[in-house]
Amino acid sequence: MSAAQHQALVLGSVSFVAFIFFLCFLLPSKRTKFSVFAACNLLFVTLMFGAVALVDLSGGRAEIMVAVMTELPVVLIVAWVCLALAGGLPAQLPAEPVARRPWLRAILGSAPLVLLLSVGLATVVGLVWPSPALRVYAPAPPQFFVLKGLIMTPEVIYSGFAAMVFVMAGRATGLKRRFYFKNLAFSVGMVCIALIALESTVFAGLRVWPSREARRAILETLNTLEACLAICCILAFIAGLSLRYTPAVATTLLHRLQTGWLRTQEQFESLEWQAVSSGAAGRLTHASDAVVEACRIEGLSESDTQRALATIRLVAVMRDPSSETQQITPDAARKLYELQEEILYDDVLASKISWAAGWRSRALEPQTVKSAPLHDALKAALELVDNHGESEDVRTPPLWYYIVAVSATDAKMIDSTHLSMQLRDGTERRAAVEAYDAAKRVLRMLEDHD
Amino acid sequence: MNVDSPKRDLAGPLLDRLTGFWRPLRNLGAARSRVNGSRSLLTAAEFQEELAVLGLSGRRFEPEHYSDALGEYLNISITVHVIPDSWYPELSRLLAISGRLGELRYSEQLNLAAILVPGSLPPLVLTLTILHELGHLAAGDLLIEPDEQFEEQDQHAEQTMFETLPLKKGKKLARGYPFAKESLREREANLRASYALFAGCLGDDSPYAHGMYDVL
Repeated sequence: MSAAQHQALVLGSVSFVAFIFFLCFLLPSKRTKFSVFAACNLLFVTLMFGAVALVDLSGGRAEIMVAVMTELPVVLIVAWVCLALAGGLPAQLPAEPVARRPWLRAILGSAPLVLLLSVGLATVVGLVWPSPALRVYAPAPPQFFVLKGLIMTPEVIYSGFAAMVFVMAGRATGLKRRFYFKNLAFSVGMVCIALIALESTVFAGLRVWPSREARRAILETLNTLEACLAICCILAFIAGLSLRYTPAVATTLLHRLQTGWLRTQEQFESLEWQAVSSGAAGRLTHASDAVVEACRIEGLSESDTQRALATIRLVAVMRDPSSETQQITPDAARKLYELQEEILYDDVLASKISWAAGWRSRALEPQTVKSAPLHDALKAALELVDNHGESEDVRTPPLWYYIVAVSATDAKMIDSTHLSMQLRDGTERRAAVEAYDAAKRVLRMLEDHD
Repeated sequence: MNVDSPKRDLAGPLLDRLTGFWRPLRNLGAARSRVNGSRSLLTAAEFQEELAVLGLSGRRFEPEHYSDALGEYLNISITVHVIPDSWYPELSRLLAISGRLGELRYSEQLNLAAILVPGSLPPLVLTLTILHELGHLAAGDLLIEPDEQFEEQDQHAEQTMFETLPLKKGKKLARGYPFAKESLREREANLRASYALFAGCLGDDSPYAHGMYDVL
């Protein structure tokens, strides 16, 4: 067995082991585009090196063709990685550092074209000036160095760029530890490929220039180095692909929230605001002023006052629909409430989704689905408008709810007999009635004063 | 949204006549670009790319940060004026009657964009309205010459391709050109607003942000 066959046998065996590992462990658990491509590539490499190890293809242009073919899997890997980093694959986002730098995106995106062109050019050079490409330790003509240089130089450059991008992606601030190690592993893999390409070019140069005595020992050392780098590269890629991360929020859920809940809530709140601001809900103004004043008299918190205000607005809009607010129906309110409950069911998601209570204001706490007045207001308004005494909730309602109920009854938004069925005649109700009456007196005095 | 274009000094009959000759030629060019220029509505993944350009991908951010980063990228000054009802009580009423929630003013000459929103808007609506107007700036919607022939309403699936218009001049964040139809520009500004709200809340928990660090 020649040295070339021996080297091919070693590389073929390593590739075969890696292919089996991919097939048994990685592909069944995480089938990404790259893992499928890498598996196919490993099979191709195994077959290629296996053929070279079994058949002695020394001499002439056949050697050149086999040498170029053995370079092709690595070239394809580098091209694929660069294209993936540039976001050039279907439904694939670019790496974060690439998205921020158009020049880097252009360079990485050009990788497949440049690499395949350089391989093509090298093949032409090799076929025009044949050289002993597979006889590892044999002296070679300068054309062999040109052939190797044509393939390896772009490979070094593109692998180097890819390694740099992985390092940049891994170093992003606040990044999850798993991503850091994943990108680090891929970076090591790409550095190994760059070093192998560099070593291969040096190897070709040594075959062209140094004397026979010095050459053999150096080439053997370089061969060992190349095998070590190849093993490191495969291990690094396997480690990178093995590190998996499942995001806390699934894409499908996010899409549903964006098109479902957010759209519904925004439409609901904006229509309600338009109705209130344009004066469409005629009975509202006096009722809401009285509710706010009654809450103040009872010393309720700001959040409870906001809940009461949101509830009376909802009741007014649902009971007095204008052309703008005809979409705010009890059914729409119930649908929105159910969507909110769905979010609240997921603790992680519910804690993350928040919005500022004011522009450039740090004084106010951000609102969440739970803390925003609309959530409790929807439930309260539905109970007042649409429940007809069928509530399964046996808890005693809070004082703000009683105040809204009394105000809504007084403004003839809801039926007083319906209210009597819903609310027991207890201390809270009496307090609410007294506060509401007092609030009305205060408002009347203020109006008279004006 | 309103655009204050720089006024030309050479007004007069001669210019009007030249403009008359120029319009069909310009429309011919625009028609050609419409034949070639089409794209689908913005996806959440594409928006994540825009955030990466602004340096906000994978980070939690408030609408203020988005506004600042966008202004810096576009090299314009963006100011948001939340006007309390007590200052200008008529604003809310006038906006509500007209069916709008906010107003975007843009001056090419001054490199200035001002967003006006009433302070009485509910917090979520206020946030989304500001993000919606910022979305128009990101898309470059203010840098096109609106074409009335595209103003009819339509509702299509997200994947459908829609015609776009080229920019007069200026810089935009989006990769694609603005849509020819106003209804689509509004729809996309809504999409940008909702994507921005969720991306800002989720930070690196966003599945789209995670996709940019997990390329292979």
